[in-house]
Amino acid sequence: MSNLPLFILFVALTIGAYLATRWLFLTYRHPLLNPVFLSTVALIAFLQATGLTLEEYRPAKDVMTYLLGPATVALALPLYHNRRVLKSHALPVLSGVVAGSLTTMAAALVAGRGLGLDERVLLSLGPKSVTVPIAVEISRLTGGEASLTAAFVVATGMIGSIMGPSLLSLCRVKSPVARGLALGTVSHGQGTAVALLENETAGAMGGVAMAIAAVFTALVAPYYLPLFLH
Amino acid sequence: MARTLLNIIWQTALLWLVFRLGVYLVGVLHLALPGNVAGMLIMFALLTSGLVTPRYIETASGFLLKHFAFFFIPISVGLMSFGSLVRQSGLELLVILLVSAALGVAVTGMSVQLLQKRREP
Repeated sequence: MSNLPLFILFVALTIGAYLATRWLFLTYRHPLLNPVFLSTVALIAFLQATGLTLEEYRPAKDVMTYLLGPATVALALPLYHNRRVLKSHALPVLSGVVAGSLTTMAAALVAGRGLGLDERVLLSLGPKSVTVPIAVEISRLTGGEASLTAAFVVATGMIGSIMGPSLLSLCRVKSPVARGLALGTVSHGQGTAVALLENETAGAMGGVAMAIAAVFTALVAPYYLPLFLH
Repeated sequence: MARTLLNIIWQTALLWLVFRLGVYLVGVLHLALPGNVAGMLIMFALLTSGLVTPRYIETASGFLLKHFAFFFIPISVGLMSFGSLVRQSGLELLVILLVSAALGVAVTGMSVQLLQKRREP
């Protein structure tokens, strides 16, 4: 670690921003007070204002995201607690995730073409609803650009977790199973994080949706996405 | 307090081991699946088979899942490097991401709830 004080500063700022925005969100419960969104804006503003770069932030990022793998494995526990729901709802779960994945991919490509984006950007948009590691692989496979896809995945995670819960309420979707699945299908881990804040069942379903959407998208994207290019 | 902390540490180590196992298997078997999701499925199988009981992982799992959103903050800061793309076609991209996310959320949420209701008249 070449610059320890800077590393400590970044870790402290990130944790501080998270705790402060989490408190704000839990106190006022407004979707725009999404902790990830507010903390990210604050940190980017800090980097811009001080002239520090993303490169300098990277060591802190690598350490802080190290536990994301084990945390995803931990999703098996709420999944296990909800295994009966999962078994009795296998058909709605599977069809809901498949329908949502196909819809969001088609919508992105059709809208993107309509707005005149080039093919490279369109292909990078394709797998934006699945978790970063697999989205990047799909993007490479279909001819997109990995870093662009990673950015779209993160932006989709943020957008879906901010407006998803209100939209679901607007559509009168009250079932925690349906809410968790919708958030996980479109906004992967970030959607699951918001679902976990609603209740344990929704959180577990977010994890389920994330897994099914990842596998399903990886399987169909190479054949499905080209349909919307010509 | 110290006991809870100790529990979190060794239970996280167990979760980490299963995570690495997931990453390893995905690599060896060339699966179209991220390693962390594979790890989640392995842990689910371990719990279902009774090889791991919930109390072996519940303290760490509770802690990690409570703060699941935290991990996405450092990742999202990376969006900063796409400033020029945002200036160039940011509005179009925002519209696309918003519309496609909204449609996906609505379709999944409504279809699952509809199918659920049919099942439980």
